[in-house]
Amino acid sequence: MHMMMQHRTFSQTINFPMVLRVVGWLLMIEAFFMLAPLLVALIYREEWIAIHFGIAVVVTFLAGLFMNYRIKPKSKAMRKREGLLLTATVWVFFSLFGMIPFLLSGTVSGFTDGFFETMSGFTTTGASVIIDVEELPRGILFWRSMMQWIGGMGIILFTLAVLPMLNYKGGVSLFNSEVTGITHERMRPRVSQTAKSLWMIYIVFTVVLALLLGFGPMGWYDAICHTMSTVSTGGFSTKNNGLHHWHDYYTDIVIMIFMLVCGINFGIIYKVAVQRRFSAIKHSDTLKWYLSIVLVGSIVVFARIAYMSFVDTWHYGAILATFDTISAITSTGFATYDYEHEGQFIFFFLMLLMIFGGMAGSTAGGAKIDRLVVLLKNVKNEMYKVVHSSAVKAVRLDGKSIPHMMVEKILAFLSVYMVVMVVVAVILTLFGMPAFDALFNSLSAISNIGFGYGEMTGGFDKFANLNPICKWLLAFEMLVGRLEVFTVLAILTPGFWKRD
Amino acid sequence: MKIVIAGAGEVGTHLAKMLSNEEQDIIVIDKDEKKLYNLDNYNLMTMQGSALSLDQLKSIQVGEADIFIAVTPHETINVIACSMAKSLGCKKAVARVDNYEFMKPASKKFFASYGINTLIYPEYLAALEVQTAMQHTWARNWFEMLDGKLVIAGVKVRDNARIVGHKLKDLVGISSFMHVNAIKRNREIIIPGGNDEVMHNDIIYVATTPRNIDDVIAICGKEKHVVESVLIMGGNEIARLLAKLICNKYKVKIMHNNMEQCQEMADELPDCNVVYYETGDTDVLEDEGVEDYDVFVALGDSSESNILSCVMAKEIGMRKTIAQVENLQFFNEAESLNIGTIINKKLIASSTIFQMMIDADTENSKSLALADAEVAELEVGAGAKVTKSKVKDLRLSSDMTIAGLVRNGEGLLVTGDTQLQAGDRVVVFCLAGAIHKIEKMFG
Repeated sequence: MHMMMQHRTFSQTINFPMVLRVVGWLLMIEAFFMLAPLLVALIYREEWIAIHFGIAVVVTFLAGLFMNYRIKPKSKAMRKREGLLLTATVWVFFSLFGMIPFLLSGTVSGFTDGFFETMSGFTTTGASVIIDVEELPRGILFWRSMMQWIGGMGIILFTLAVLPMLNYKGGVSLFNSEVTGITHERMRPRVSQTAKSLWMIYIVFTVVLALLLGFGPMGWYDAICHTMSTVSTGGFSTKNNGLHHWHDYYTDIVIMIFMLVCGINFGIIYKVAVQRRFSAIKHSDTLKWYLSIVLVGSIVVFARIAYMSFVDTWHYGAILATFDTISAITSTGFATYDYEHEGQFIFFFLMLLMIFGGMAGSTAGGAKIDRLVVLLKNVKNEMYKVVHSSAVKAVRLDGKSIPHMMVEKILAFLSVYMVVMVVVAVILTLFGMPAFDALFNSLSAISNIGFGYGEMTGGFDKFANLNPICKWLLAFEMLVGRLEVFTVLAILTPGFWKRD
Repeated sequence: MKIVIAGAGEVGTHLAKMLSNEEQDIIVIDKDEKKLYNLDNYNLMTMQGSALSLDQLKSIQVGEADIFIAVTPHETINVIACSMAKSLGCKKAVARVDNYEFMKPASKKFFASYGINTLIYPEYLAALEVQTAMQHTWARNWFEMLDGKLVIAGVKVRDNARIVGHKLKDLVGISSFMHVNAIKRNREIIIPGGNDEVMHNDIIYVATTPRNIDDVIAICGKEKHVVESVLIMGGNEIARLLAKLICNKYKVKIMHNNMEQCQEMADELPDCNVVYYETGDTDVLEDEGVEDYDVFVALGDSSESNILSCVMAKEIGMRKTIAQVENLQFFNEAESLNIGTIINKKLIASSTIFQMMIDADTENSKSLALADAEVAELEVGAGAKVTKSKVKDLRLSSDMTIAGLVRNGEGLLVTGDTQLQAGDRVVVFCLAGAIHKIEKMFG
């Protein structure tokens, strides 16, 4: 009866077999998720679609099973590198297998489009290459919405919550690389418990919203699809012109409220809803910033709409203004009204909000308000230092001073974020896209929003007419944005692969 | 089990890391956020704040905690924090102190009235451990369990030992006087079965009863020595406590490289010789006749220099060397060198906590922590899983073994045919990360 100690290895050799084995596990979970659209297809008697999903489930499950049983890692060690690699590759694997039903059913025209669509789904971007979604079978549309729902809270986080296998030291670095934000606050002592709490909140939101929408004018099927799009701040719709299709205040307002709430740090929601600590709201500077920006943004957009008389009634204008502001800042990107030909200003303004994004620890994308608040406060301190050159200042957030190291990291993050966005935009112009459109679409991808702008994309929310290279680039950018830049870019640096 | 640790110093951090591998719910509180960063990659929750803030204690629901451990550098804070946590409803509270007087049985009642169940004084416990090690020079570790009715000894065996080179099942009669719990070989710990073999340079952890010790010494190829004189290097708290404990029994000399502290020790310890030396001065070693001492204890602040000076002392010809190695990374390294006994105050502190985790009755029980294994004693509960069949049929998980037991006041060794009964007090030897399994088996 031999027992080896939990062997500490001091080698920098990346443990690929272990990474692949865990990916195998996760693929089996994806197969399990795909049973839901299969069921939907059966309910709506879409036999062919059901068969397509059946094939996808079997293929994905077998691939996962194969990876899990045929790969025998020598050591179970999962350190930083393996953690980063796993987090990044899981999203790619999920997209590769997630597109099987799209390809089989002919929803998308090829591999590139399939990858773009699924990556856009899982990263909750909500940009689409499909021009006419209304003709799509219900099973396919359901899977499209569901991908966002899975990706919204996070694939790894789901696994941490339900399976004990990642619940050890290595799981912590996975948690840190998938949860958004600066500090990756944990609400409960163990990572698995924290993941469970986050998913529970998420599921409660989903159920409540689905009920609210279901009793509205939408009908249950559309209600559930839109619910998954909303709580994940994704933005896929089941209709060609999105929520505009219903033209209904009740639906708009309910969705608006849930988008707003899902852009709030889930840690605060947990404290208030579960622990009944209402002081958490009072103590959060970021929450005040978030709500203020939404308020000011809505007023500005409303003023513009009213001034230019885009719509007939003031209340419709007000709803539109608030809805689009929230939709942009939370990176949902639901299309409601097409300003394209009339209002460049609104687009430009919304673009600023898109950079902000929601709060860290929410399902929203973007650079996260927390970081921008730190940036602004740091700039303020620097300005002060111009006059008082020997002053010593601290950046404070939520009443706590933020260590220098952290401020530096945040500044680096924001710089890299901008650089990636601009570089991709420059490449997009190479393919003939006008400069503003390129910037807008690039930002839309990295912030996981999903608005598309310009003649080349093929319509609002649509990216159908792009060159394949542009599609790959944008899909890559979505992943970079979803995993908050460093995770993916670190893997692309030579230093990640070198032993030093 | 929910465990709250106040203070992310050396001891607190070590406890948190170890317990997070034991599948426990850990929350660590410290004022200094920087200290908490070290724990960022562990499976636990940290909170920046004061252990004396009622609001913050409430916000992490201390009332639901099973154990509250206060290990900040200040004993007053520890005592008050424990008392607060207890009043909020936590089940057990442990405070770290650094005052010998508090450890006396008379103080117990006073602290109990504050709600503190256990006091730990790691430096004092370390000094006691050094003292025990001196009395048993042939063993690397020596632990008396179950009120001394059972002994666990760690012994380094070499070619000359009879036990080396045979499968355990072939060593006829061995089970009548000892039980090999674990074999440590090249950084690996093995819980052996009958087909395993003890090899040259292994450290074996054996359980035995006091009357069989001579047999164990014989089969391991060891001899007993009588210790007369002790040389202590270092002037920290452990060194002073140790000197106080042993100065009447042995001839004690303390060497230290800080003049001021040397003077303090000379004032405090009239029965010891205190010598000041400058680091790197080898002449003074000659002058002081280092070679003539039986035991060398290195208690300096740096683990590295403690290890090195022990190696040197052994080369000079001292019989027994003892080094304080606080740096756990060096622990395995030091063990593979020729150093008699290694002590570490963090391990000593954590053993107390482990005991609290597995057994309600901490008053009379003991546990001890090795670098990557733990030994704990506990009572077998009525209807516990382990009472259902003979030990060999229990299918114990491969990371633990039962070392021995006390039944009707008599210490017994455990073999495959032993049948455990409710009410037995047993000693369990288990590898790190497995201690949370014990409760399921024995509770």
